Amino acid sequence: MTDTTQAFASAPAGHYRFKHVARSEALKVLTLRSTAITLVVTVAAALLVTGLVANANLHHGAGYYFGFDPTQTSLVGLIPAALTGGVFGALLITGEYASGTIRGTLAAAPRRTMLLVAKVAVTATAMAVFSEMLTFAAFFLGQAVLSGGGAPSASLGSPGALRAVLMTGAFIALLALMSFGFGLIFRSTAGAIASFVGIVFVLPLVMRGISEPDLRYVPTQILTNSVMSTVSLGPGGVVKPLSPTVGLLLMVLYAAVSLVVGATLFVKRDA
Amino acid sequence: MITAHSLTKRYGATPAVDNLTFEVPAGLVTGFLGPNGSGKSTTMRMIMGLDVPDSGSALIGGRVFRELPWPLREVGGLLDAKAFHPARTARNHLRWLALTNDIPMRRVDEVLDEVGLSSVANKRAGKFSLGMSQRLGIAAALLGDPAVLLFDEPVNGLDPEGIRWVRNFLRRLAAEGRTVFVSSHLISEMSLTADRLVVIGRGRLIAETSVADFVARSGRGAVKLVTPDRAGFASALAAAGATLEDGEAGSLTVEGLTAPQIGDIAARDGLRVYELTPVAVSLEDAFMELTQDEVEYRPSSMAGAVGAGVTE
Repeated sequence: MTDTTQAFASAPAGHYRFKHVARSEALKVLTLRSTAITLVVTVAAALLVTGLVANANLHHGAGYYFGFDPTQTSLVGLIPAALTGGVFGALLITGEYASGTIRGTLAAAPRRTMLLVAKVAVTATAMAVFSEMLTFAAFFLGQAVLSGGGAPSASLGSPGALRAVLMTGAFIALLALMSFGFGLIFRSTAGAIASFVGIVFVLPLVMRGISEPDLRYVPTQILTNSVMSTVSLGPGGVVKPLSPTVGLLLMVLYAAVSLVVGATLFVKRDA
Repeated sequence: MITAHSLTKRYGATPAVDNLTFEVPAGLVTGFLGPNGSGKSTTMRMIMGLDVPDSGSALIGGRVFRELPWPLREVGGLLDAKAFHPARTARNHLRWLALTNDIPMRRVDEVLDEVGLSSVANKRAGKFSLGMSQRLGIAAALLGDPAVLLFDEPVNGLDPEGIRWVRNFLRRLAAEGRTVFVSSHLISEMSLTADRLVVIGRGRLIAETSVADFVARSGRGAVKLVTPDRAGFASALAAAGATLEDGEAGSLTVEGLTAPQIGDIAARDGLRVYELTPVAVSLEDAFMELTQDEVEYRPSSMAGAVGAGVTE
């Protein structure tokens, strides 16, 4: 009996690294049918709603277009993408718990912090690339419908338009990361998606029932009123929305809190 | 080699694994035997770094699992037959595993071939039968060609052919010089597969020994006796300090004396003997005897039955 484990195949020097785990996680994302289904549904829903919203803003009287924001009009169709993106983010981790894959993952890459950083990096990259592409597509579609119907329209060169498009894509990716954090915390698809939908979509509705709630800090409000908007509301507005930068940073904070809590539990808990 | 030292894990107040110390040497199949709920899986999960022990340690070649430089190339584990995403194909499941430890992709097809899953490599693993899932799990364990292998209940749910395949496979891996640690609650299976046994009950070590020693140590060597002179034997054997029980088909089971001793008594008293056979204690009997107090959940009727078999 020897006291050292000798591998049968000659193991290379060194040890497994971030790049190995990240490649593996990327392959996992790409080899799930649910990935393709989620993305196709997201694209279809986003572009359909974008087209309908733009179309509904055609052929109005001149007064209607006072303070009209063509950029925001072309982006609100991405609200469903915020929902499906959140579901996708949660599924990337809860799917591993539901299937038991997480134990295989941890047996192959037991350094949990490294594993988690790789998972978050892959999720963030995939979501950022996808939602930016989708956001640009929605913007161009929306502007095409608006200008085709004779309504005021914008281009990427219009003040704030490029900023709004880029930030909207980033915001949706951040929502997915926040939901991934919920997945780490709850380890169940139902728990993660319920809390994501509850906090992002239901909580604002409940808050509206309370007298004069301040909804500026709610993710959906930041998204539509701060990030997507390029026209500041007139003096008639009760509360001025957060600036796009503050709004986006607040969303970074939300996602970070969810991920840090989830990561702390993930590193400590038995798998 | 796997070494567990004072390994302890509690869930609430109940210890699942209690001060467990044992060794699993290379080149042999070591069976990890215990009733359901005795802490086998928890122990294996601690060895694999999935659960953190409350105290004590589990080392692989002197190292904690989490510190292994290339975990899959050093330890192969089958802890859970269905531990893969059902939507992924068998090949893709092995491909992502291989990537984590920089294992060449040709190994994926090699291990698929080795476990006989090549023809269904591109089928979704969720459609697999339990036997195919077990094979996929074994393929995953072999992927890095590791020196240490852990299998938790690998024959559960397999048909006889599958059981035999796994058994031969484990024996071959050990013959290649690997450390093979395999848990089971099926004693008969372990008696066929294992060279050594680590026996636990309620998380505590009951025995760590070879299969032969385990049987010999616990056996009280009963002898089967067939005779028409039951009354004569009853008094003669009682006088010699042995006990007599009615066995199958009119035979008697004698405990406390060897077959030659019983033969001598028969010759001395002129009692007729039609058959006199030493009965080897099965691994199952030995196990039952040693674990009778250690089974946590047992129906009361079974408790009586087990108790009756071992009263002294």
